[in-house]
Parts: sequence; C-alpha cells; structure tokens
Amino acid sequence: MIDNTEIKKLTDKAYEARRNVLRMAYIDRRGFIAQALGAADFLTGLFFHAMKYRPDDPEWEDRDRFLLSAGHNAIAVYAVMAAAGMIPEEWMDTYGQDGSHLPMASMPKYTPGIEISGGSIGLGLPIGVGMALGLKRKGSDSKVFIMMGDGEMAEGPTWEAAMSAGNYHLDNIIGLVDVNGIQADGLTRSVMVTEPLDEKFRAFGFDVQRINGNSMSEVVTALDNALGSKENKPHIIICDTVPGTGLDFLIGNPKAHFISLDDEGWKRAFSELKKGEE
Amino acid sequence: MSKGVQSVISDSNVVTSHPVMAEPFGNALIELAQTNDKIVGLSADLAKYTDIHIFRDAFPDRFYNVGMSEQLMMCAAAGLAKEGFIPYATTYATFAARRCYDFISQAVCEHKLNVKIIGGLPGLQSGYGPSHQATDDLAILGAMPDLTIIDPCDAVETMQATKLIAEYDRPVYMRLLRGNRVPLVLDKYDYTFEIGKAKLLKEGSDALAISCGEMTMRCLDAAEELEEQGIHVAVLHVPTIKPFNRETVLSEIARVNGPVFTAENHTEYGGLGSLVAAAVAQEKMQADLKKIALPDRYLEAGTLGFLQDLYGISTKTVKEAFTAALR
Ligand SMILES: Cc1ncc(C[n+]2csc(CCOP(=O)(O)OP(=O)(O)O)c2C)c(N)n1
Ligand SMILES: [Mg+2]
Repeated sequence: MIDNTEIKKLTDKAYEARRNVLRMAYIDRRGFIAQALGAADFLTGLFFHAMKYRPDDPEWEDRDRFLLSAGHNAIAVYAVMAAAGMIPEEWMDTYGQDGSHLPMASMPKYTPGIEISGGSIGLGLPIGVGMALGLKRKGSDSKVFIMMGDGEMAEGPTWEAAMSAGNYHLDNIIGLVDVNGIQADGLTRSVMVTEPLDEKFRAFGFDVQRINGNSMSEVVTALDNALGSKENKPHIIICDTVPGTGLDFLIGNPKAHFISLDDEGWKRAFSELKKGEE
Repeated sequence: MSKGVQSVISDSNVVTSHPVMAEPFGNALIELAQTNDKIVGLSADLAKYTDIHIFRDAFPDRFYNVGMSEQLMMCAAAGLAKEGFIPYATTYATFAARRCYDFISQAVCEHKLNVKIIGGLPGLQSGYGPSHQATDDLAILGAMPDLTIIDPCDAVETMQATKLIAEYDRPVYMRLLRGNRVPLVLDKYDYTFEIGKAKLLKEGSDALAISCGEMTMRCLDAAEELEEQGIHVAVLHVPTIKPFNRETVLSEIARVNGPVFTAENHTEYGGLGSLVAAAVAQEKMQADLKKIALPDRYLEAGTLGFLQDLYGISTKTVKEAFTAALR
C-alpha cells in the first residue's frame, strides 16, 4: 500500500538533496553532478524510508549499514546525509577543499557514517558479503545496503561477491545498482555492455527487482518488498535512472560523467532545478 | 551539448612555468601505430583520462575498451602479445599496480610478454585520496622480475619512451604524464631517452640530486634558481627505475663533494631513494644521502598544490631542502 503523503514528503526531501548537490558542486563549479541528481530519488528512499540509523550516532551497533561502492558518488550521499542531519549542513560548503570532512571520494577517515573507502571501485559488494556474514554471526538483524554503478558491474570482484552472496543466502544484503547508462568513457552500452543485469543477478541466486529509480513510489515499493521479503536470498534493486534528473538541460549529455558549468550554466542550474516524480 | 555545459577530461591543476604540450603519450602512440601495424590499444574505462582516447579516435578498430575490468585487461594484453601484437594498456597507476599485481606477474611478466602497461596519476598527482594516489607503484611493481619500469620527466621524454618501448620486446610499466598541459622541459637540455640509462642533465659542484619522473623537472627548476645565488646543484636523471643504472649513479656520487639528494614522487620505501641507498651501502661508499620522497602513510585528500607542498615534493619545498642542507 502506497502512502501518498509519505511519497510527497520523500519527493520534497529528494529536492532538498538535489539542491545540496548543486550547493557542493558549485564550490569547484564542477563535479559528478549528473549521477548525483539521478541517484537522489533512490538515496532519499533509502535514508528517509528504508534504513534504520541514528543521525547523531553513526556507530550505533544496531544501525543498518550503508556502503557506497563507487566512491566518486559521495556528493550524492553527502547530499542526503546533510538533509538527514547526519552531517552538519555547513560542511557542504567545504566539499572537496583542503581539510574538509567531505572529500570528493568517500572515506570513513573523514566522514562519520561513511563505512568504506570507495575511490577504488568494486569493493562494496565484496566487503558487504563479509559484513552480512558478520551480522548474521552476531545474531543481528541489521541490513547491509550497497550502492553500485552500472559501469562498476564490469569489475570481476563484484561477481565473485555475487556468487558468495547467493551461495551463503545472504538475505540481509540489499544491493542497489544505479543504471544511469553512463561511465567514465561514455555510454555504458558503448563502452562495455554490462546488461542484462536482472538475468545475471537472478542466475547468481538473487531476488531481483527492476524499477524506474526516479519514481519515488517505485523506489518505496521496491525497498518495502526487499525488507519484507521472506525469500532466503540476497536482494538487488536495479534502478534505471536518468542522469541529470531535475535539470532538463543536463539530460542526454553522453559526456555527463564529470560536468563543468560556466556562470550561465550555474545560474540556470539554481533557477531551473525541478522536483522529481512522485 | 546544450549551452553552458562542458565536460572536463582532466582534473590536473598542475601549475607550471614551462611550455606545455597536449597528450604526448597519445600522440606518440598514434605516430608509432602509423608505421607499426602490431600496435593495439586497451583501456579500462579510462581512455579519456589516460590520453589514449586520441589513439582510439585515430584507429578505432585497433582499440579495445574493456570497461572497468583492469584485471581482465592485463590478461587480455598478455593474450594479444602471445598472438604477436604489441598492446599498450592504460589505467590509473594505483589500479595497475595494486589491483592487477598477480595478473601482471603470472600472465605477462613470467613469460616476458611484449606488453606495455601505462599508469596514469603516478605518485601524488591527484588530490582524490589514497585510492588515486599511486604512492607505491614503483615499490610494488619493482619487485616483479623481468618488468622494465620507466618514470619519464616530461612531454619530450614521454614521447620518446612511448616509441622506444615498442621495439623493446619485453614487459614495460611506464608512468604516465597526461592531459593537455604536460610540461616540456628536457628539450632545453642535451638529452635523449635511452632505456636503462641515467644521464647527467646539469653539472654542479655543491650537491647532487638524483631524481626520476617529474621530480627531475622540480630538481632542475630548483637548481636553476639556486644558480642565481651561486649555489651549484648537479642533477642526474634516472628515468629507468628498473633495470637500475647503478654504475652511472655510483660514479656521479663519487664525483660530488656535498650532499646527495634523491627525489621521487613516491613513498620513501622501495623506490629510487632505496635503490640508491642500497647501492651506496653495498659499495661501502661514504655519502651524505638525503631523501626527498612521500611519507610512508596514506596521504590526505585535498588540492594538489597544497598536498605537494605539504609532503615536500613541490619545486618550492625541493629548493628549501637543497638550501637547508647547503647552509
Ligand atoms: C577500480 C577503478 N577503476 C577505475 C576507476 C575510475 N573511475 C571512476 S568513476 C568511473 C566510472 C564509473 O561508472 P559507474 O559505475 O557507472 O558510475 P557512475 O559514475 O555512472 O555513477 C571510473 C572508471 C576507479 N575509480 N576505480
Ligand atoms: Mg553509471
């Protein structure tokens, strides 16, 4: 059952997260902006609907774990963490600068609430397997949420981990793959075809859902399904997203991996930013 | 693309007083491939960031982007070499050295295959944090038998080395200086790159700097500035880390009457400084050795200029190290 007021509230939060993305990227006038705007909806669903945590106690033993596997998307995660009160808002104005708590790639050393270093991509699911095993050993019912990218799906360790997750029936893993269609050298389908991801994960023993990752109601439904599932399998939610969502003039840029905006671009960004789909 | 939007392909914010050149590696590879049809290119989703994208655009059917699969790339390069091709495989130096070690060792080096591994962002060239700071690539890969390791100083040497290693039928790891602003330095000196040869670029009677990679540029810049104060620092450039040109290094050390600096954009463990110190000790030579290198720790994230100063590898801090020792 979808609760419309909840969806409305989440859509507002996602808008706040998008504004936070722009606020941080503006410091250097550039960054991984398109991916972060595309990921804002499912990250908001995670942090404001699905995950169990205490904003002021990042090491709370009973928290759900969140692993950002492709660490360059830190800006997207900082944006929701700030909206959730996990980090002070002012930190955003130091993003990527010397001495900041918010470096461009996420690292536990700098930011409370960040669990792993993600700059070297492809470690999230493998570390997640160990954390999921450890949580089970401790008798904990905390979940391990892992955010990955579609380009990242070419990394071998991801599939070694997928095999283990299936083998050990790690139903406490909930992975999210952000299929935004882009990676560093261009469109994922023209660099290396990583699809069909749903069939691949299914073959590795996962419970698979595939959704429009920019529809808040689809995000919420998928998260509820995974959390309520009685299936003795790891879960994966494949989120098809549109990089740049919320800023129409960024959409469709095949070189959106790392975007630089000039003064006019920034003026447009701040004035044209739209709310996402409910 | 809509108005107001541009994509950035290089995050390098290197400030240099030298003239610059765009994509020396990519351009040299294109020239090479025009006369050698065995040359093929590979990258692991970092073509645009390792300058091999211009080769890709010039020879689309001789280029393979394997996506984010660095380990596969090293093995595929080995396979291509077994079939008689000369693969140039690019990724960042951290991923080549750390993630791919076993693959390079067992697929490539044990069989002395003709594979050229090109590592971007060697040493401290990124403010992104340890994942992108290859502070240990020379130490890691230096332990691999039969791998030749080259750390070029500038655009001139990068172009010369890119071409020379094709003729050199064995595995090579080359540190990459990339982007559209790679400094041109060595054209001002009487210098040509030769594999395995250390060469004296500048004479000087007060001290000797033994350096590799872009640290040679910084040593030269610092030494030229000190000439104006009547201080004469010699600079010996060691672009080939392995095989190490022990004889030349030792004979230059024997000639100097003053401190001997080693300078590398690399951790103080297991790089050029360690090689020089071991050679001196084995010869039972007397030398006042001083190491300019990165500390043995995971470095901070931040802006590159700030970090180069912080860790003592900028021209300014190199000059300070020279003057402090010579006072
Ligand atoms: C092991 C590794 N290889 C390469 C890189 C360089 N790199 C950073 S982001 C990126 C592309 C990521 O694509 P994707 O996983 O689709 O994430 P997106 O940016 O689309 O969210 C690459 C190749 C890296 N950080 N780590
Ligand atoms: Mg992607």
